[in-house]
Amino acid sequence: MNVATRALWNPIVAKEYRTRMRTWRSPLAITIYIVLLGGIGWAVFSALIVTSTGFGQGPGSLGQMLFTFLILFQVALLAFITPALTAGAISGERERQTLDLLFVTPIAPFSIIWGKLLASLSFVVLLLVISVPIFSLVFLFGGIELDQVVSAFLVTGVTAMTLGFIGVAFSTVLRRTLAATVASYGAAFVLLAGTLLYGALFPTEVDSNVTTQPAPPAITLVSPVIPLLTIATNLPVSGYGVRIKNVNPGGPAILNSSGAPQYCAPAPTGGVMCTSQSSSSSSFFAQNSATAIPTGLFTGWQYWQASVVMQLMISLVALLFSALMLPPVRRFRLLRRRAPAAPPA
Amino acid sequence: MIAVEELTKVYGNRAALDRVSFEVPAREIFGFVGPNGAGKTTTLRILAALLEPTGGKAFIDGSDVTKDREKVHTRIGYMPDFFGVYDQLTVGEYLDFYAACYRQPKQRRSKIVDDLLALVGMTERKNQQVDSLSRGLKQRVCLARALVHDPAVLLLDEPASGLDPRARVELREILRELQGMGKTIIISSHILPELTELCSMIGIIDNGRMRATGPVREVIARLTSGRRLHIKVLEDKEAALEILTPLPSVRHVESVNGTIEAEYDGDERTASDILLALTQAGIRVSSFAPVDGGLEDAFLKATSEEVG
Repeated sequence: MNVATRALWNPIVAKEYRTRMRTWRSPLAITIYIVLLGGIGWAVFSALIVTSTGFGQGPGSLGQMLFTFLILFQVALLAFITPALTAGAISGERERQTLDLLFVTPIAPFSIIWGKLLASLSFVVLLLVISVPIFSLVFLFGGIELDQVVSAFLVTGVTAMTLGFIGVAFSTVLRRTLAATVASYGAAFVLLAGTLLYGALFPTEVDSNVTTQPAPPAITLVSPVIPLLTIATNLPVSGYGVRIKNVNPGGPAILNSSGAPQYCAPAPTGGVMCTSQSSSSSSFFAQNSATAIPTGLFTGWQYWQASVVMQLMISLVALLFSALMLPPVRRFRLLRRRAPAAPPA
Repeated sequence: MIAVEELTKVYGNRAALDRVSFEVPAREIFGFVGPNGAGKTTTLRILAALLEPTGGKAFIDGSDVTKDREKVHTRIGYMPDFFGVYDQLTVGEYLDFYAACYRQPKQRRSKIVDDLLALVGMTERKNQQVDSLSRGLKQRVCLARALVHDPAVLLLDEPASGLDPRARVELREILRELQGMGKTIIISSHILPELTELCSMIGIIDNGRMRATGPVREVIARLTSGRRLHIKVLEDKEAALEILTPLPSVRHVESVNGTIEAEYDGDERTASDILLALTQAGIRVSSFAPVDGGLEDAFLKATSEEVG
């Protein structure tokens, strides 16, 4: 067995697959997932058909709407499922008193965590794969390209992964599954909704005389919601996470709502000088300049790319944290314990 | 094979282990006895490299448990005082899982599992769910699990607790067989007689301190050196007490419910000397019985003594 196989396939993964798929819970979860996702798809579809004359934009926009609803609903569903899958990973072993039995085997603590994650995340991947037929209905209407679906699924998958890593981290630190589950749901809420709330409460402040479309604070992009919306609608975000200060009634507050991002600076002669950034000189990431982030830390990136990168960083931190906290005899201590006092004689 | 030197473990300001030392040569069965909370499990967990000692050292087959953890893990089979079973797994799959965790090659695993099931007498239960088994059977599966990588040393924490007498006898036979296979075994228990038939060596621990350790016979002889007599006399009890008290071999005499209880140092010859002294003084002895305090008494004595 070479290193790669061992990394991807350890006995824990095999055992997890076995025990997970033998219960009635897994088929039930899959069924509920598909029924809910199909149900929301059908409901949105019916609603849009009725009102589609009002849109007057043809089936393309209908497909886009349907896709938007489906992908957001899918993320919400996974945010409910993933913590339940992972929050018991380590604490469950502890409660079943099997953790010590794993610790006395040559399996490294990191492999235990990795095996647990792999097993939970492949269930998430399974859910994503079986949702593909529902999403393929969107193509009947058009308006959505394959690359949008792929990047939307990537963002969704990474979000589920991040929530999974956080769940396992809580499962490692908090000794009880119940506590770990509550904490994981809390973390899922913060990740998905809390960061959005932050953007609404503490938006990027821009002067009215700057004509660049500003981006919401970078932290809001941890949540997959904005990135998924920009992917689905192919439009930059507007009206969220931005506050315009010093509104000058005389001068026009121009917000560049579409097209290439512009860099503006007060011109020495007075007024504002803007330069459009040409797409050829932009970074590797910015394939679609309309939905690229105009300002801030991730200038020029797509929203979803920034989201994926930030979530991967969170995952990495959670993974390292779990791996450090799990071993019964830790190599590194957060606090160095004082030298053992002489035992009472 | 196993060496423990001045092992100390402090939780907060309570010493769970206080400079515990003992040695177990290869192929011995070492019985580790003490009341609940004496430090047996702590010692075994340190030996299994699951717990870091506050002080002292422990070696398994020459490997320091705090340094060569991996090496120690391949040498020992650890059976904790709880079962630790998964639901949704059969006995065969359960053992196969741990064999895989111990990196046994796939081709060999099914043979390992079959051999172990035969050893613990559970071949016909291979396809039964682990968590549906009775306590005694779970215990056997857990023993088999501790053996999947053919370790040289077995650490068994309370393997006989909660077993019925029959299961206990069967466990004893399995352990004898394992000893015959050349394994060094440490068994902990809070019941001393349970171990004396099985073990070649024992160590008595109480309150984190090792009270006595060595070959079973030696330890028992040392513990039971203070023997007791129940003496009944017909009339003059006071006179009997006066004769007994100054005797050099008699440690302590008291009168309880009409019976004289005397504690003495020595063997049966000393006892007969005491009887001779009484009868020579003209005291009519109606009953003269050595009290077989036995191991349990000795054990209680050893573990209740205040440390001087």
